[in-house]
Amino acid sequence: MAKILIVDDSKLSRRTMRRILESAAHEVVEASEGMSALEQYVVEQPDLVIMDLTMHGMHGLDLLAQLHSLNPMGRFIVASADIQRTTLVMVEGAGASAFIPKPFMADHVLNTVHSVLAGGQHDPH
Amino acid sequence: MILTEQQSDSLTELINIAFSRTAAALSDLTGQRVFMDMPEIAIYPIADLVGALETVVPEEITTVHQIFEGPVGGDALLLLDYEGAVKLAEMLTDEHHATHRLDASDREVLTEVGNILLNACLSMFGNILEVHVSFSVPRLRLEALSQLLESLIIRKEGLRYALVAHTAFRLHDSAVEGHLIIVLGVTALDRLLQAVDTLG
Repeated sequence: MAKILIVDDSKLSRRTMRRILESAAHEVVEASEGMSALEQYVVEQPDLVIMDLTMHGMHGLDLLAQLHSLNPMGRFIVASADIQRTTLVMVEGAGASAFIPKPFMADHVLNTVHSVLAGGQHDPH
Repeated sequence: MILTEQQSDSLTELINIAFSRTAAALSDLTGQRVFMDMPEIAIYPIADLVGALETVVPEEITTVHQIFEGPVGGDALLLLDYEGAVKLAEMLTDEHHATHRLDASDREVLTEVGNILLNACLSMFGNILEVHVSFSVPRLRLEALSQLLESLIIRKEGLRYALVAHTAFRLHDSAVEGHLIIVLGVTALDRLLQAVDTLG
């Protein structure tokens, strides 16, 4: 079981992701935008962060860069509906371990999360 | 401005692939089979845009609007008739509304649905054309189609023609119907056609 921080400005996506993660007995904390995500990251010290890209306020790539500078060894997954190959390259270059496309498929989410928690990189391509 | 037969054929196929990805995403979200019409591509002088779309889209609509930017930029719209929007929100929240009105929670759900569907479509667009497209935060809008389109036209003063890619979709077990519309100005359209021509 891991503690996982979900960052998404959509309640629907947070709710869906929470249900999937809790079905595998993970503990979930949430943030709806980048600044509160940074606070939560410091306070909660999650094992993994799953973040959206297109959000009100801070963009997901900026959040990823800040989280990566806070903890270069941290585990970060980007979850987005933007499935462009160029986006996947940018996400990988910014330090994400994996990419999860929306809409969320439970099996794919859990396989990706468990692979990243086990220390592996999950090829987003 | 007239498309050649080959440009029209290539654009229709490109849009068809992108819209099909959108249908797959909607099917994944709702668990229902989604039927989608073959997309129609047309170029309209901006003055005729409202009239052209009013013939295929109901007046009382709920719209998710997302601006996309990059080598090919424009406006993407997911349009649902109001009743269909209420039904779709009910399906995704497992809540029944006696009032048949969209509350704040419904609006938030529909905005994310629009985000997923429009991104699915435009991402496929970007992948096929090998260009990167950036997305704005999606906005849910409840005004009439004519007001919505006029606001797009005012925002883009140089917009004289628009490429409109349109399709209608239906969910198998419910009366939810919607429309996907992409509006591009001439400059973006020129770039798009150059990219399409390189596809062969």
